[in-house]
Amino acid sequence: MRHCLLLALLLATAALLGTALVASAHGEDSQEGFLRMETVAFSNVQFSTDTVKQGEMVTITGQATILDTFPRNLGDPGMGYINITAPGPVMLMKDRVINGAEAPDAIFVKKGNTYDFKMTLAGRLPGRWHVHPTFAVEGAGTLIGPGQWITVQDTGGFANNLNLLNGQTVNLETFGVEQLTIFQWLGFAIGLYWMLYWTWPRIGGANHRTVSKLPVTLSVPLNTDGQDIGLITKQDHRVSNWLLAATIALLAIGWIYQSVSFPIKIPQQVLRFQPPALAQPPQFSQTVAKGGSFDPQTSTLVMDVDVTNTGKSPMNVTGFTTSSLTFVSDGTAGTGSQHTMSVEPQGQIAPGETKTLKLTLRDPAWRDARIIDVNRPRIEVAGQLVFQDSSGTKNQDTILSSINPKLV
Amino acid sequence: MAATAAAVSAAEAERERLRARLHKQYRWLDYKWDLVFWITAAFVVGAAADITKLLFAGDWDFWTDWKDRQWWPIVSPFAFIIIPSALQYIQWLAWRFPTGATYTAVAMFLCSWVGRVFQWQGFVSYPLAFVWPATIIPAGIFLDWVLLKTKSFILTSILGGMVWAFVFWSSNYITLAPYLQPTQFMGHVMSVADVQGIQYLRSQTPEYLRLVENGTLRSFLDETQYVSLVFGATVAIAGYWIGQLIARYLAIWPIGRFIKRY
Repeated sequence: MRHCLLLALLLATAALLGTALVASAHGEDSQEGFLRMETVAFSNVQFSTDTVKQGEMVTITGQATILDTFPRNLGDPGMGYINITAPGPVMLMKDRVINGAEAPDAIFVKKGNTYDFKMTLAGRLPGRWHVHPTFAVEGAGTLIGPGQWITVQDTGGFANNLNLLNGQTVNLETFGVEQLTIFQWLGFAIGLYWMLYWTWPRIGGANHRTVSKLPVTLSVPLNTDGQDIGLITKQDHRVSNWLLAATIALLAIGWIYQSVSFPIKIPQQVLRFQPPALAQPPQFSQTVAKGGSFDPQTSTLVMDVDVTNTGKSPMNVTGFTTSSLTFVSDGTAGTGSQHTMSVEPQGQIAPGETKTLKLTLRDPAWRDARIIDVNRPRIEVAGQLVFQDSSGTKNQDTILSSINPKLV
Repeated sequence: MAATAAAVSAAEAERERLRARLHKQYRWLDYKWDLVFWITAAFVVGAAADITKLLFAGDWDFWTDWKDRQWWPIVSPFAFIIIPSALQYIQWLAWRFPTGATYTAVAMFLCSWVGRVFQWQGFVSYPLAFVWPATIIPAGIFLDWVLLKTKSFILTSILGGMVWAFVFWSSNYITLAPYLQPTQFMGHVMSVADVQGIQYLRSQTPEYLRLVENGTLRSFLDETQYVSLVFGATVAIAGYWIGQLIARYLAIWPIGRFIKRY
């Protein structure tokens, strides 16, 4: 019987461990769909490589737009931070340029603005890491863009060197650790001696037991040290004074050391600013969402939109961007396109013409990535419809549409 | 006259009784018991202090780019003094040991270093140079010394609380100093600590969450640091009394309800 139980336990454990999936992403699917679709749209995200050696650079470029559909319940976006999400500091942020300006810290952001980013990262920790660009918006949280696996190859050693203004070069992996270890552990030694003196008879030599003291201390007033009965002795005072003097000496030596070794210091800097605006292409398209439907069984989204060409040359619908997905019109999709959509009726929209288009986006991502979830208070879809005119100029119109899910 | 002599004699007799009790030998409950007690309790005390610190001043203690001159000297002394104060009351009341603050500091020091070296450096790969913990051992020795000399919790809260804040900052500024050296990065002059904060990715801690000095119209004669220290000393006094309340009403009072006083 006991063996059967043991065997059952082993089998159950093996079954649990054997069927467990490796957690390799960053929880992007756990964010509610409306957050992913209505707040920030990532587009044209590119990784320069998928393999680097330790210390080698990888560049991530792309655009992130704070959509006009940014939900009111999250407040107006005022501050944002474009960064990377990865399993810890496996890579180092070496450079970050937003709209052409160096942006080490957070930036001031506005609804409707597009931010063109370029981040340069150095491989640090050997391994295969899932890396995403992110756009954190104060009040809303961190929105995650399209990710990619990056392999960092071991080179047998890694240093993260930084040049100081005094001409010295330091390795940030270990800089300052030696002196902080010495100083802090010297302080620990004094503190430990203080404790041992008061608790360990071979060091203190005095009667500093806990058990025999309790009935005595409870019999004398709290505001006395009981010198007359030997609770605390003159020697205790003397030793405590010496230990305090040692502490003061340690602080004095530490202060002299730091002021001599590091004479020039500045406070931490806060470098937040509003990035320069991107040059906007001429607006030639207008889009009004007319409604849509969603079939959870087939994970198919159908949207009707009224599209007007206000430009001077014919234009086409070339794609739809939402969350971290980019759908390409099947008329323009290349062979490597991951997500496609069909547009009916096909063909160009002439200048001045208004057409009602039916967009069909059949993709398991709607359901599997929980972008459209019928069990939520907001059953809607939002994103940017992309147009291109005959000169190659692109327009992106933000749309938001409620959708009718097929529930039965 | 005779009554006075009798009173003196009675007092002396009482002192003798207490002296004898103080030196009474116990067969089982002796120094070995003390050793087990002090070492076992160190884990509980260290963890309690570390958790309290993390709850109230977590980020300020974790990252060098948060250890600024405005908020760090205010938030940290308050967060750090609560459990040392509670232990100070308990150990002074029970054994007349001026050790509560130092004991907590030593126990928390070990907990923090184990956490930073094994978890943060070993497991998550942040360099210790970026995530080193602040120490409160020098401040703890000062606080215990003030209690030993004044024998008063009111005076210790006022004098000791203020000294605590100043010693906390001055003892940790020594280790922070190298990280405040200027450098140029991404086209801007900033401190080494800033560069650490930018380079070592903190995915779910956007930079705008960093509560550090931003500059203010109220310049206080350009002495932000000293104003912060004075305010930090004031809130440390408040923190001290929160610790006292925890000791008196969450630790000691319930024991007194169920155990007969000797």
